[in-house]
Amino acid sequence: MYYYNLRNNIESFMYLYLPIAEQPIHSLAILGIGAFLGLIMGLVGVGGGFLLTPLMMFLGIPPPVAVASVANQLVAPSVSGVLSHWKRSNVDFKMGTVLLLGGIVGSSIGVILFNFLGKIGQLDFVIKSSYIIFLTLIGTLMFSESLRLILRTRKGKVTRGKLHQHNWLHGLPFKIRFRKSKLYISVLLPILIGVVVGILAALMGIGGGFIIVPAMIYLLGMPTSLVVGTSLFQIIFVAANTTILQASQNQTVDIVLATILLLGSVIGVQIGSRFTNILKGEYLRLILSSIIILVSLKLLIDLVTIPSDLFSVIISR
Amino acid sequence: MKFFFHINLIFLLSILTSKTFALNQIVADLSQENVKIETDFQGAKILLFGAYDGKKGDDIIVIVKGPKGLVTVQKKEKILGVWVNTRKVNYINTPKYLSISSNRRIDDILNKKTQKISEIGLNNLKIRIQPGIKVENEKQWRQALTRNMLKSNLWSINENSVSLNKDSLFRSYLELPSNVITGRFEVKILHYRNSKLVSQQINSIKVSKSGISAEIYDIAQNYSTLYGIFAVLLAVLVGWGSNLIFRKV
Repeated sequence: MYYYNLRNNIESFMYLYLPIAEQPIHSLAILGIGAFLGLIMGLVGVGGGFLLTPLMMFLGIPPPVAVASVANQLVAPSVSGVLSHWKRSNVDFKMGTVLLLGGIVGSSIGVILFNFLGKIGQLDFVIKSSYIIFLTLIGTLMFSESLRLILRTRKGKVTRGKLHQHNWLHGLPFKIRFRKSKLYISVLLPILIGVVVGILAALMGIGGGFIIVPAMIYLLGMPTSLVVGTSLFQIIFVAANTTILQASQNQTVDIVLATILLLGSVIGVQIGSRFTNILKGEYLRLILSSIIILVSLKLLIDLVTIPSDLFSVIISR
Repeated sequence: MKFFFHINLIFLLSILTSKTFALNQIVADLSQENVKIETDFQGAKILLFGAYDGKKGDDIIVIVKGPKGLVTVQKKEKILGVWVNTRKVNYINTPKYLSISSNRRIDDILNKKTQKISEIGLNNLKIRIQPGIKVENEKQWRQALTRNMLKSNLWSINENSVSLNKDSLFRSYLELPSNVITGRFEVKILHYRNSKLVSQQINSIKVSKSGISAEIYDIAQNYSTLYGIFAVLLAVLVGWGSNLIFRKV
């Protein structure tokens, strides 16, 4: 009897009832997922939300709650990540501020769009197809780029190209000098990137890292060493804005879910950022891009295969 | 004299009725009348037990109904190669929890007609489609509703789950899943003899959120912006705190 009670107590301790999602969840599962994704995030500066949100949905958390709570938890590893990158002087605050101004505008638009799509019942579909499009795009781009780098290094011909390519994007007006990034570009470009990423961030429950990091490298031509810290800096504000708006507009932020997730991810991100100096960047990106492509394939397969039940039920609370 | 006769008659009648009342009365109780959803809630199992004045062959049916409201059924269709929700039907007045338990197969206890009249059985529920919506192939939608509610464990049919003892005692377990909705649940116990209702009793269960989880829910609903700001501050603190801790390590 005593043993039974003890086991019962341990089991009920493992499960936590989520007050907003209105269901219990195994806390170890969430903690583990949070730690794993925090690790990826610390390693490459991207990869928190885009895997976390689909995983939460697989665990049965309603998509609106998953998206909003993941945005909330993203604040913590971003703060902790920025602090450690700041120490190594890897943050361009000027560029970050410009990006986040666009991000705040974008995420506000995103939350409004999110609310509207929920009302017409197409939220799931839009979330999933956005994931497929962007994951495939970014995954393929990263994969081919890092593979090319690895092959070139293997051949022993380490040729360094120009710092960045000049194209029509650099002809835009309102040019500003970003000393830290050694860039002289139009301010419109980072603002626009911020807006687009902000919309997607709010809609997909991500910080936007996996979009903004490649955009910073390939579109802005920022030095790779600054990209991670700067993107984490802007993610803090985009995620914070999304959280507050989701909470006030849709009441979908589950603070209990977010807290378990963030405890896992802050530990993961610390371990991850320590590994950055050990593992080579291009290998990391090759691994990450493979994961990205796999996730988007899985989502695509789910959308095109005939569902086991064409009907589904929504119970209004 | 006539006056006294009347008194006597009333007296007699009242004795008779109270006697039959006592004889046929079913008495039931629940091991738990208040279900509190707290942070460790994983569903509840409630014992329903009681006594009835039965004969050999009598039957007991227990119907538990949760709060009623709007339930939407959506249908997916293939558009440009992908499956998208295209149509929906709103059912109003739908119980968000329903469990029907009995001591043997309901079809053996009652005929189809009685089942329909007494609203026993999943297909006999008086659920209406929201007025103003035109629905083709209504049966298909209704079946989808039943199928999905059963799948989520919010509706259930548990034949043979009421155990009877010496034609006078009964017991049954009511299972509330972890995704149960809050509100007042009606527990109706029906005693049948040769397909005729002999007596019935109605109890109720109150399911409510309690403790920290109830408070969090309330705050999220009523002070939503403050709640959002607090959630962000908490995350900032944890992020900052973890950085301090890890720096020292």
